[in-house]
Amino acid sequence: MTLTEAQVERYSRHILLQDVGGEGQEKILNAKVLVIGAGGLGSPIALYLAAAGVGTIGIIDGDVVDVSNLQRQVIHFTPDVGVPKVESAKNKIQEINPDVNVVTYQDIVHSKNILDVIKDYDFVVDGTDNFAAKFLINDACVIAGKPYSHGGILRFDGQTMTHVPGEACYRCVFKQPPPANAVPTCSQAGVLGAVAGMLGTIQAAEVLKYIIGVGDLLVNRLLIFDAKSMKFRTSNFKKNPNCPVCGENPTVTELVDGEQAVCDLKV
Amino acid sequence: MRFYEVPDTLYAEQDQFDRDIKEYVEGRINPVKFKAIRVAHGVYEQRQEHTYMVRIRCAAGGITPTQLKKVSEVGDVYGSGEVHFTTRQEVQVHDVLVNGVIKVIRGLNDVGLSSRGGGGNTVRNILTSIDSGISSTEVFDVEPYAIALTTRMIDEPDSWNLPRKLKISMSNGPDDTTYTQSTCLGFVATVKDGVKGFQVFCSGGMGAKPMVGHALLDFVPDTHVYHVTKALKVMFDKNGNRRSKYSSRIKFLWKKVGEDEFKRIFHEEYDQIKNDRSLDLVLESIDNSAKSTDLAVQSVDTAEFELWKKRYVTAQKQEGLSSIKIPLELGDVLRADANSLCDFLLNFGENTMRCERDQNIRLRNIPTEYLGNAYNVITGLKKSLVKHAPFIGNMINCTGASTCKLGICLPRGLSSAIRDQLTGTDLDLDIIPDFRLNMSGCPNTCGMHHVANLGFFGKVGRKDGDMYPAYNILAGGKVEKAGEMKYAQRVDEIASHRIPEFVNAFLKVWIEKKKAGTYADYNTFLEEEGNTLIKTLCDSYRDVPTYEADAGFYTDFGAKRRLSMDELGTAECSAGMFDMIEVDKKQIKKARKVLDAGSDEERPDAIQKILFSASRMLLVTRGLDAKTDEQVYDLFGKHFMTAGLIDEKFRPLLALGKAADVSAIFAQEPAVLALTSEVEALYKNMDDSLRFKATDGKVIKEREGYELDSEVEAEPVAKTIQMFEKDYRGVGCPMNFVKTKLVLETMESGDQLKILLDDGEPIKNVPGSVKLEGHAVLLQEQVGPHWEVLIQKK
Ligand code: HEM
Ligand code: SF4
Ligand SMILES: [Zn+2]
Repeated sequence: MTLTEAQVERYSRHILLQDVGGEGQEKILNAKVLVIGAGGLGSPIALYLAAAGVGTIGIIDGDVVDVSNLQRQVIHFTPDVGVPKVESAKNKIQEINPDVNVVTYQDIVHSKNILDVIKDYDFVVDGTDNFAAKFLINDACVIAGKPYSHGGILRFDGQTMTHVPGEACYRCVFKQPPPANAVPTCSQAGVLGAVAGMLGTIQAAEVLKYIIGVGDLLVNRLLIFDAKSMKFRTSNFKKNPNCPVCGENPTVTELVDGEQAVCDLKV
Repeated sequence: MRFYEVPDTLYAEQDQFDRDIKEYVEGRINPVKFKAIRVAHGVYEQRQEHTYMVRIRCAAGGITPTQLKKVSEVGDVYGSGEVHFTTRQEVQVHDVLVNGVIKVIRGLNDVGLSSRGGGGNTVRNILTSIDSGISSTEVFDVEPYAIALTTRMIDEPDSWNLPRKLKISMSNGPDDTTYTQSTCLGFVATVKDGVKGFQVFCSGGMGAKPMVGHALLDFVPDTHVYHVTKALKVMFDKNGNRRSKYSSRIKFLWKKVGEDEFKRIFHEEYDQIKNDRSLDLVLESIDNSAKSTDLAVQSVDTAEFELWKKRYVTAQKQEGLSSIKIPLELGDVLRADANSLCDFLLNFGENTMRCERDQNIRLRNIPTEYLGNAYNVITGLKKSLVKHAPFIGNMINCTGASTCKLGICLPRGLSSAIRDQLTGTDLDLDIIPDFRLNMSGCPNTCGMHHVANLGFFGKVGRKDGDMYPAYNILAGGKVEKAGEMKYAQRVDEIASHRIPEFVNAFLKVWIEKKKAGTYADYNTFLEEEGNTLIKTLCDSYRDVPTYEADAGFYTDFGAKRRLSMDELGTAECSAGMFDMIEVDKKQIKKARKVLDAGSDEERPDAIQKILFSASRMLLVTRGLDAKTDEQVYDLFGKHFMTAGLIDEKFRPLLALGKAADVSAIFAQEPAVLALTSEVEALYKNMDDSLRFKATDGKVIKEREGYELDSEVEAEPVAKTIQMFEKDYRGVGCPMNFVKTKLVLETMESGDQLKILLDDGEPIKNVPGSVKLEGHAVLLQEQVGPHWEVLIQKK
């Protein structure tokens, strides 16, 4: 595949980068990325991946746009209220970049469908809002051998890490989901809209770095930031040999649906 | 008019050089071999890879306006756009890309200039007093001798392969303006019993190991200039093969054999030829006059004009003619400036200009009634320092780390910073017009710090392990009188960023004292209080902020990044290299002390350290860099033992060293110490070209079949180079670079791409960006309104 004149023009600011060039851009154009959740994190992730020219973007989300989403879910606009989120997202992506092939799934991920959905993608991005889904995505990706980006936000805080096969997974750090209601859900806590944007774009950058193969991913590292003090830090951790999913004697060998403390105020 | 004639053989040599360049670019000649070839053509690689400077010979500092116009034209088309005037009274073109080199050299043919012998082991540019032939107080004009000698020397094949470079200078009288005692061979014009002749000095030299020259002959008649030079040259050449320890440079030869023996072997040669009158130089006297012109006289009647005349204009001995100094900013002349100046000068003829050794231009033979015109032309130059007191333009600095591979510091940046500091104060610099403030970027003295009143040479300062740019300070150089030369002595050291304030504070005191007439001369001032003042001032500037507190302190004046030794040239670099060797020398010395005085338990460890340091010490001289301790022994074995520089009998020690077997090494103590002595002896006899010599003075040739570069880079393999071409005229930034990149991606390593670019932003940006991505830019040439850029894929 060679870039067309219009593509050279469109992606020139990528091509200029020494680490990207034409070759890197072609990798992006050939990549397939699944974004789980078209909410606060999924919006910036999908927008930036679309603008970057990711060839195929899959989006899975079962909700319709609610007016309370618009404070942070920037891919949806006021006239979209009531429209399925995946539809609304697809329309925006195609307006940004007609090069992108968008595949939509109007559904939530659960233990029965997730392996089937992720199997066609090179990379999975977690933009969900609850621990049950986060553990499910982690377990599915570890089992299926897919790299993925974990992301979570609450109030003014964000955290993210990247998993690639063979390296530490989310469960290596957090063994199991906290009991339902042990942590505040978004409805109790709220979230600053821009924090979703901050974390989502960090995740999008990780995806692109992975695709073109440059830099150091947040592998075996957890990035945590507090937007109130605007302090970022990363803490290193190791693959845990006793990890229930990726350890030497895994106890999680098939997927189950946890109890989902579903958030009223979707991330 | 020309100042020397180039030999006819030159053109064939240039054709060969052209072929060599092509083979080098195609990877069929390795860089070391190419270096030997290009340096003899006066072509040096700059700090940036594939970028060169071309040094152009100007005998007696002479260059005609027609010639300068041509130099600035080729400099502009193929180089940085500036012509540099050097301390060797010659000119240089900088930033020439590899395929531009031959175009510059061939361009110079048109005007009879040559870069041949600009570098290498040959007779270098001959210096003469700037006012020779026009001074009313001179003994006689020495230029005809320098010119005739140059033409004769560059025509003699044996001038091209001397043991080392041979530098000659000629002063037109006892005030020795060419510093005859700082050079290999110096002639001072004198008259004895009514006969014109010279007092001859020899064996001086600056550099990292400076020596003041000695009187060789009290008087030779002027007819004998060639004979003296020839004799010295032959003796020098022969001594390269004699059983002499220091054979490489004339100054070392004197030191080694002593005055009597030196003179004896000189006379062995000289007496054979001195009466052969057929060898006399054919002198052509130089006509210092002005062509008549119908140029309209411009009269200027301002106070500035009068001040300028006082500062920069000198009457010649020729009635009605004047000599004018043009102080240049950092020794550089822009093409537009060169053109306007030269067009003006051509009204009065070709003999109107000289290169001055303080990196300035000196005009001569300007009719005094045209001083107003000259003033208007000179004040119209974009890059002159004519508005300032002469002190400012007289500062000398080498190019330093901006282009020179050996440079630690950036004296160009420092010079500008000092200028900014001083011109912002009310110091009366007109009190000290002749003050010599000279700066070099490393100990090599290209900026002539040894002859300075106040000199600086670059060094690395360290604070908590961070490196910052710093300088050693020297003071007290004396050059005013032939035979009484004295080099400046090191007094203290100081961080780069403190120097402008330091200079300001120091000069303030000296100017006051000089005005008051407190001391007979500057050196008395130094002895009485100046040296103490330097130390006191340095003490007050001793405080170095941490990197965290002031990062700017760690980036030199004019540098883009903080000081680092990473880019220092390896084999070409003596300064950084000697520092590295010092580390091992010190380690060996320390360990020897332990052997002498330490406890028994400490001894095995000390022996191991000695073995390690002895093995590592000289690797850097071959451009080798061991990544691990084991590699030290491997590289040493290969490049010193296999190469035949160190006896094979020591080889078993290397395995022990590699295994870090302390007790086994300790058992071999005598062998380790013997090996160490061999390494030290080798180093002691290393010359400045990094060649090792045996104690009998012979160059130790590396054994057949040994190839220095085999480790560093693979044997060059010939490859057919594919050529690509793209036209990006009309394509703006950055799309032109985007497209260039995409084409390069499709090419194979070594292939070449020619692109056409518009003038302006495109040519300013694209080649630099291509280089940043690691590709080589081989040529960049303006063709009509656009540019052609030749790129080689990395
Ligand atoms: C690649 C290495 C070198 C380059 C490119 C170089 C270049 C130059 C240049 C351009 C000048 C004229 C200064 C100016 O006006 O800008 C000069 C002068 C000089 N160089 Fe170097 N140089 C190099 C290495 C050395 C070394 C290693 C030594 C001594 C060991 C040395 C000794 C001198 C001296 C003493 C002068 C002063 C001029 C004089 O003798 O009157 N240079 N050099
Ligand atoms: S003095 Fe040192 S830094 Fe300056 S040009 Fe010479 S070798 Fe380079
Ligand atoms: Zn795990």
